[in-house]
Amino acid sequence: MKTALTATILLTLLACSNKSEKTEAAKDTIQVVRGSGPDGKLQSLSYEQRQGKHLYGKYCTVCHGTEGKGDGFNAFNLDPKPRDFTDARYMNALSDERLLETIGQGGRGVNKSVLMPSWGGRLTNIERTYVAAFIRHFGKGNE
Amino acid sequence: MKNASTYFALSSVVFLVVLAISPLKDFFREWKWYQFEYNRLAGEMPQRIKPADIGIKQIWSRKLDRIDRCVTCHLGLKEKALVESKEPFRSHPQIYHDFEELGCTICHEGQGSATSFKESVGRVEYWDRPIYPKEYMEAACGKCHKEANVPQAPILTLGRKIIEESNCVACHKLEGYLKQWVPSLDGIGSKVNRNWLVHWLKDPRTYFSKTKMPNFLLSDEEANLLADFLMTFKSFPSEATLEPTPQSVASASPSARDKFVELGSTRFREARCISCHPINGKGGYVATDLGKVASKVSPQWLYNYLKSPKRLQPGVEMPRYRLKETELEAVTAYMQSEFIDYEMEEAPARTPDPAYYEKGLALFKKYNCSGCHELGGMKKAEEMGPELVTIGDKRLYEIDFGKASIEQTLPLYLFTKLKDPRVFLPTMKMPKYEFSDEESRAVAVALLGNTKEPIPEELKVLPKPPSTYAPQGDFGQLVDDLACFGCHTMFGRGRLVATDLTLEASQAQRNWIKKYFKVPYSLRPILTERMPNLFLDDREIEVILDYMEKVFIADSLEQQIKIDQTKITKGKILFYEKYGCQACHQINLKGGYVGPALDKVGSRLKPGWIIHWLRNPQALNPEAIEPNNNMANDEVEALTAFLMSLK
Repeated sequence: MKTALTATILLTLLACSNKSEKTEAAKDTIQVVRGSGPDGKLQSLSYEQRQGKHLYGKYCTVCHGTEGKGDGFNAFNLDPKPRDFTDARYMNALSDERLLETIGQGGRGVNKSVLMPSWGGRLTNIERTYVAAFIRHFGKGNE
Repeated sequence: MKNASTYFALSSVVFLVVLAISPLKDFFREWKWYQFEYNRLAGEMPQRIKPADIGIKQIWSRKLDRIDRCVTCHLGLKEKALVESKEPFRSHPQIYHDFEELGCTICHEGQGSATSFKESVGRVEYWDRPIYPKEYMEAACGKCHKEANVPQAPILTLGRKIIEESNCVACHKLEGYLKQWVPSLDGIGSKVNRNWLVHWLKDPRTYFSKTKMPNFLLSDEEANLLADFLMTFKSFPSEATLEPTPQSVASASPSARDKFVELGSTRFREARCISCHPINGKGGYVATDLGKVASKVSPQWLYNYLKSPKRLQPGVEMPRYRLKETELEAVTAYMQSEFIDYEMEEAPARTPDPAYYEKGLALFKKYNCSGCHELGGMKKAEEMGPELVTIGDKRLYEIDFGKASIEQTLPLYLFTKLKDPRVFLPTMKMPKYEFSDEESRAVAVALLGNTKEPIPEELKVLPKPPSTYAPQGDFGQLVDDLACFGCHTMFGRGRLVATDLTLEASQAQRNWIKKYFKVPYSLRPILTERMPNLFLDDREIEVILDYMEKVFIADSLEQQIKIDQTKITKGKILFYEKYGCQACHQINLKGGYVGPALDKVGSRLKPGWIIHWLRNPQALNPEAIEPNNNMANDEVEALTAFLMSLK
């Protein structure tokens, strides 16, 4: 009887200790999976922002610039100048609805310069939210 | 007896405790805590969020035959209010797929049926496919999307492009990639200087930074052996021979010779060679750098090549310029005097190895040079690298990580291998491609999606079959001779360095095209690759124009409109004040330079084209960045009238 008892207790203990070891190993793996990619920059962007980055590069950089400072190569030809997205004060005051409206309907839709085209016919709703999400990331860190 | 009952009582207690472990363990499940936590969070939010019922939840994707229990803890995926919340409750980003239909692991990987964090996302015993790291997520798109250009997956698309351009299929088995054209090595002994060849074999990128040829990391000895071997191949494909250069200024005065070189320089500029060929890194990147070409090839070869590129190098995408013989000689003389590599070191004198041919041939075979290059009718080698059709399924225990100190995951293995192909084992033969981090990751993403996972046919997006368009007759000969497909696409065949010509005759007026061949100017000031002047004669231009008007045309695009002053005035107001077209287009040097300048557009485009373009630019060119303004018909007509009035 005694032996059976000790055996049960031992077995339970063994099972427990075995388990905690495994957990440690798994923690390491998870760290690897979620963390340390070779490039930290991409990591800090959300999925929407990464999608938006691609669209922004195709449609917006020519005027608003790769860094969002409103200094794309075509900005030289424009008056008024394109919006500087790194201007945190302006961007914080701008609601998401208004930002999406401007992208969708262009300057003429929101009583701003007609030089900003309307992208509502070119980009789908989802694509416009991606672009807006990416534009938002320029202001981060300037506040 | 008393003793026995004590034992009995004790053992019943122990038995009870052991029995209690199971329900207790079940009660303290990890996922339950997450569900309680979620309900607490839901109660705190200002918005109304439906609390979760306690219990395991799952998505059963019937289409894919997958069961994913991730939603047991990821409870707020559909709750927009939880977009800023912490994981695992954060809402899912908007995507084009419905995850309630397809489940989670088809895109994220990981163990769908697991109900603890570490088992579902991590690498655990008997499960070595953890979820994809963020940067490699697009690999999953590649499982179903087999087309070359996957919308919403720019990294995957880039990776596939690099795989195709780098000719990975020369050594690896891959599906859906075509072998790229690579120059034949027949006649290389009559073409290049041996000293250049040794330097090239050692490191092709010091000569041309964007060459497709990778670095095979050869030793000095190997490079010399291979160069000696290659220099023995003196005859060109199809028994073509080098004609002697005319030597028309051999006995002329130095000033006449200077003038001759001057003529060559003028023609070199007029032909816009730098549209495709960079010179010391400046210019287009369609073809090789010419900055040091005089130290590479012999003048005789250069003269013959300019005269008829395809005779010495069948399949090359270099147009045959219609230059006179003296002009060709002048261009050769100019290039010989201008593009010399003054820094190239002379190879130290050495006695060639007597067995150089056998040893060189062995090296040629070892590195599978014939995977890409033709030489002496040698048979194409079988793919010698590992097959990559199912590389995404590779198990970790099958991979030899050698002494490389990286985290042992498949994405990181591929990334590291692409950055430094021989890091895991120095005896490996894969050459170095000098990919950047971004490029290596993109290629790894494209490869990870190559799995043998069964995907139902209705979910697959297959690539378009390659175009079989092949123009015949006089036009066909001209297209071949002028290598039009090298830059232009016609009916789905060719590159998109320049305009798609499929609807050219519906787009542009005959007279304008005719003048354009004589003086090809650049419609877009920002382009580096510009249409060269091919010096075509009038008969050739007529052949091209006649063909275009028969074939590169769609009747549905032909449309005439009545143009009157009121429409023109209205169109002008729309152009400048409503749609702000001047943001991108120039007229009279005022306006942006994103789109083509619109000066004299009334003499260039056809009215029907402008009408259809304004209605929906992407219907005519899916890649156009011009916004679609959903204009009303009267606005389209007014704008067309205004543009047609600019003559």
